[in-house]
Amino acid sequence: MESHAYFPWFILLAPLVSAVLIQLFLRRSRELSATISVGAVCVSLLASVFVFFGPDTVKANEIPWIELPDFHVPIGVTVDALSKIMLLVVTGVGALVHIYSLVYMKGDESEARFFGNLSLFMFSMLGIVLANNFAMMFIFWELVGVSSYLLIGHWHTRDTAAAAANKAFLTNRIGDFGFMLGILMVWSSVGSVVFRDIEHNLRLITADPTYLTIAVLLIFCGAIGKSAQVPLHVWLPDAMEGPTPVSALIHAATMVAAGVFMLARISFLIAPSPNAQAVIMWVGIGTAVLAALMATQQDDIKRILAYSTLSQLGYMVMAIGLAAPGPAMFHLFTHAFFKALLFLGAGAIIHALHHEQDIWKMGGLSAKMKWTFRSFTAGYLALIGAPLLSGFFSKDAILAAAWQTNKLVFLLALLTAFLTAFYMTRLFVVVFLGQPRSDAAKHGHDGPAAMTLPLIILAVLSVVAGYSVIGERALGEHLWENVHKIHHGEGVGAVMALAIGAFVIGTAGGWVLYKGQAKDPILIPLFKNKFYIDELYAALIAGTQDLLATMSGWFDKWILDGLFVRGLSGAAWGTGFVLRFLQIGNLQAYAFLFGLGVVGLIYFLVFA
Amino acid sequence: MSEYFPIFLQVVVAIGFAASALLVSVVLGKAAKTNKAKDSAYECGMPAEGGAQPRFSVKFYLVAMLFILFDIEIVFMYPWAVVFREHIAAHGPGIFWSMLSFAGVLTVGYVYAIMKGALDWKS
Amino acid sequence: MIPSLSLEITVLLLGILMLLVESFSRSDDKRGLAKMAIGILSALVGFSFFVDPASGNAFYAVDATAHFFKVLALLTTIVVLIMSLEYSSVLAKYLPGVTPGAGLGEFYSLPVFTCAGLMFMASAVDFLLIFVSLELVTISFYILVAYMRRHTASLEAGVKYLILGALSTGFLVYGITWIFGLTGETNLAAIQHALATKAVATTPLLFGLMLLLTGLGFKVAAVPFQLWVPDVYQGAPTPITAFLSVGSKAAGFVVLLRVLQPFLGVPGVGVKVLAVLALMAALTMLYGNLAALPQDNFKRLLAYSSIGHAGYLLVAVASVSDTKATFGSAGVAVAFYLAGYLLMTLLSFLVLIVVARHSRGDDILHFNGLAKRSPFLAFAMLTAMLSLAGVPFTAGFYGKLLVFAAAVQAGKFWLVGIGILTVAAGFYYYLRIVAAMYWQEPGDTTPITIAPLTRTAIGALTLAVFVFGICPQPILRQLKDGGVSAVQENAGKPPQSADGLRPWGV
Repeated sequence: MESHAYFPWFILLAPLVSAVLIQLFLRRSRELSATISVGAVCVSLLASVFVFFGPDTVKANEIPWIELPDFHVPIGVTVDALSKIMLLVVTGVGALVHIYSLVYMKGDESEARFFGNLSLFMFSMLGIVLANNFAMMFIFWELVGVSSYLLIGHWHTRDTAAAAANKAFLTNRIGDFGFMLGILMVWSSVGSVVFRDIEHNLRLITADPTYLTIAVLLIFCGAIGKSAQVPLHVWLPDAMEGPTPVSALIHAATMVAAGVFMLARISFLIAPSPNAQAVIMWVGIGTAVLAALMATQQDDIKRILAYSTLSQLGYMVMAIGLAAPGPAMFHLFTHAFFKALLFLGAGAIIHALHHEQDIWKMGGLSAKMKWTFRSFTAGYLALIGAPLLSGFFSKDAILAAAWQTNKLVFLLALLTAFLTAFYMTRLFVVVFLGQPRSDAAKHGHDGPAAMTLPLIILAVLSVVAGYSVIGERALGEHLWENVHKIHHGEGVGAVMALAIGAFVIGTAGGWVLYKGQAKDPILIPLFKNKFYIDELYAALIAGTQDLLATMSGWFDKWILDGLFVRGLSGAAWGTGFVLRFLQIGNLQAYAFLFGLGVVGLIYFLVFA
Repeated sequence: MSEYFPIFLQVVVAIGFAASALLVSVVLGKAAKTNKAKDSAYECGMPAEGGAQPRFSVKFYLVAMLFILFDIEIVFMYPWAVVFREHIAAHGPGIFWSMLSFAGVLTVGYVYAIMKGALDWKS
Repeated sequence: MIPSLSLEITVLLLGILMLLVESFSRSDDKRGLAKMAIGILSALVGFSFFVDPASGNAFYAVDATAHFFKVLALLTTIVVLIMSLEYSSVLAKYLPGVTPGAGLGEFYSLPVFTCAGLMFMASAVDFLLIFVSLELVTISFYILVAYMRRHTASLEAGVKYLILGALSTGFLVYGITWIFGLTGETNLAAIQHALATKAVATTPLLFGLMLLLTGLGFKVAAVPFQLWVPDVYQGAPTPITAFLSVGSKAAGFVVLLRVLQPFLGVPGVGVKVLAVLALMAALTMLYGNLAALPQDNFKRLLAYSSIGHAGYLLVAVASVSDTKATFGSAGVAVAFYLAGYLLMTLLSFLVLIVVARHSRGDDILHFNGLAKRSPFLAFAMLTAMLSLAGVPFTAGFYGKLLVFAAAVQAGKFWLVGIGILTVAAGFYYYLRIVAAMYWQEPGDTTPITIAPLTRTAIGALTLAVFVFGICPQPILRQLKDGGVSAVQENAGKPPQSADGLRPWGV
């Protein structure tokens, strides 16, 4: 096996080794575990870089794991353009977030646990990226769920954090159930879970369009959960209860992108099913618009960014639905940098302001936190699609794809672009300009170098990542071709003009409305309360769920499928309780029952 | 049915015997008088000492078990002694070594019992 | 190449030697004895790979199945001895004696005799040898279970095990006599030959087989012969509980597989026996897993869990068929499942002993906050629990997969359905332990010290659980190539005459 074949395994195993070491031996030594964790992610990054510049398709190397007559699951890795770019994004952003966390988490009493979980997360996320079959992807998919649960609930003594962790886990479970059913459908039709084999035997499943559509939509459920699309988006804003580096890593750049990545990985399955494509497209654009509307009225800096993430993920999902995986991955690539930057910037502000997250208690930070301000500005401009920054190019590609397919969708996407410019300007103006509106804001300051350096690196990447020199290299020939085709399709000029128009109007609107304001001049309760979706769900679930929840007590969190298994376990526990009465401890009774058993079985065997 | 007649007869006789015995004792015997002396064990005038189920020392059981262990080996050795001469002539000395190893194991058990003080009545 | 029987003879000699040393030695500390035994048994594991495959006879088979289960027996005994060392301080408290170490020697030597019995049983292909070796195992267990003489729970467990065990042995012998009466043979191959050539009445044969199943069902703790398990497991000294749940079960299953084989081809018998086994499997899975749910004592929980696992193993046994082609897969499933079960059960008992010694109790609440007191132990226990529950990438998952695959091949879909339901219930109670270890605050925060030997054993078992779960293929290939299945190598061959017996196996 040539040496290139080993690198993917290094990428995967380094964080695992780190996680195991920390869990096993180093729970008490904070600094050593932090060092090991950062070291592991750097190894992964380095190996990813080698893989990236290595040959395009590394000869598949797999270990057979399950070998049954009709069911083969290898433990194997895929190295292609898609996984290469994703590896770079995950390990790159991951490494920066690790370094940043060194400062952010300093002094936390469970720092070692944090870094252990962070390594576990990196392992599972990289497992999704590298998986070459559905079964392995699903296992890592679940592992990502578990590790993000642990990270969101890091401050588990805080009730809100524990609740948010539960919510994220359970909401994801709903999606994953669909995902699992979808995988089973694909397997029962094609007879394999390996992506390569499915692609080769595609006609087996495309023969029945309805079957294919159902299967794809069920798989899409997994992406809805993980990428927080409507109607399962509710967990993401709550997940902001976790430490800010976690928000940056998981809920901006990597985990939520896993859904989009998975859809891109199986785009060969989606392409033959126009109905499924339509559903995916509408879910995507729906999420994009709704989330953008909600973002306009939030006051918590991290929540605004969370809704913005939702909205951008909606863009990507929509692009998948538009049969444009290239632009989707392109936007994922650029978005990872500037959104991680914005989150880390927000984290720097929160850190400096002693965990103040309300934007109305900030203000005037541009002078106090120079480096944070400069880098944040780059991220802000990139996100709202300021011309010549990375976000502009990738968003433009998606908008063009929409224009070429469906004008209504394009209009909605354009509306989202306008709203994005508007709410981000609101955030920017309120936080950085004007006068400090609280004591904490008066004493803001830049963080140490380990905190600022990742910001600057990300800022540079946010600016340049969109240029075709980088984009083409990063996306690889195949995906870039997709982007390129759209960029040279019809109506590109009009799209670009309209996009710039939306950017200008949105920015100007935000600037005019919020400049010098000390409190929000507009109040739209519907948006502020997130369309009351949380309340609706709460009301729906409250009646049935709470009743059972009290019964199952605190170990609810272990229950896999929320409502479904909860009922089952209650019944099972009851039966167990009854069975226990057979066990009365009296020897004569045992001997009697023993004899009864013999008689019963003899009856069954000989006479029945 | 007729072949079951002897059984039926036997049942009748059994029940009849028990019933008549009871009946005769009621008719012939005096109605039972009870007093303290009559109810005492043995009815011999000497007061009974101790409980009805005294506990024996565990040593009795131990010795009994050892006796059985070393006694039962004769069940194996006796038939062996009857055939071993012919068997060795016909099939070689395997049967001899078998018995020797068996005796060896027994000896180890015996040595163990002695060293552990199982045959030591005092202690 | 060494004759196979020499392995068992070495183990027996070792046991005798240990008894002699125990009786002559004046020293109170008998731990050296156990360490010596561990060393010799480990060496025997190595030697077992150089066994002459032609050194069997009509009583005693030398095949891959036998070898596999012998290695299992040796490894189990080694780990049990390590546990006993760790447990000796607890044990000494419940023994009458002037000095603290008195009376511990037998506790180390009896497992060696049990091991010899287990090894004989792995090779036994004649009802006589099966019965004698089974009794060697069972009688040593009677003593070991009741070993803590000053502990009423241990005594009670001993009495219960003795009475019910004797009852089941009675059924077993009775069953053997019925089959002997019908076929005139005690050798399994000869029985198969007789059944194929002679006309044998079906009803008495079924009756005899059912009595056999009763005796073996008791050994493997299958419903409805499982009632002794929770009380005995809870009362017995913990290393012996581990030995019972692994050794006794493995022995029962290897005998079950061997004994069933001659009868499967008999028309009107094989199908019925498998149907009853399937019924027992379903009941056992349900009983074990459901009754485990409300348990608060960890040993008792493991007892019920052991019943549950017997159910999964029975699923595989019930899925065997008399044709050789598919017979292998069920046999491999049983072998692999038992190996995985051995690893994870011994691991959990090993951790339990260490934790119970430090926490002075073996309830679930004594595991509270273990992750803070000893991350190593907590991780090992986490591994064991995940594997017992059947989480992917552990030995337990793969074992269950093989078992269910065998059942699907045999067309027993309803068994798979029940199996999956009970696995879900299993998740619930295994993860309670995990939750206690990782989410609860520890009752006392003293760090836990672990002896180096114990630490090595825990580490090795933890690693093995993952190795079996992640790359089982090499092991499975070994099993398949070696022809591990219940099919005897000498099946169908005409039985050798008694004159051909070679007492030394040479």
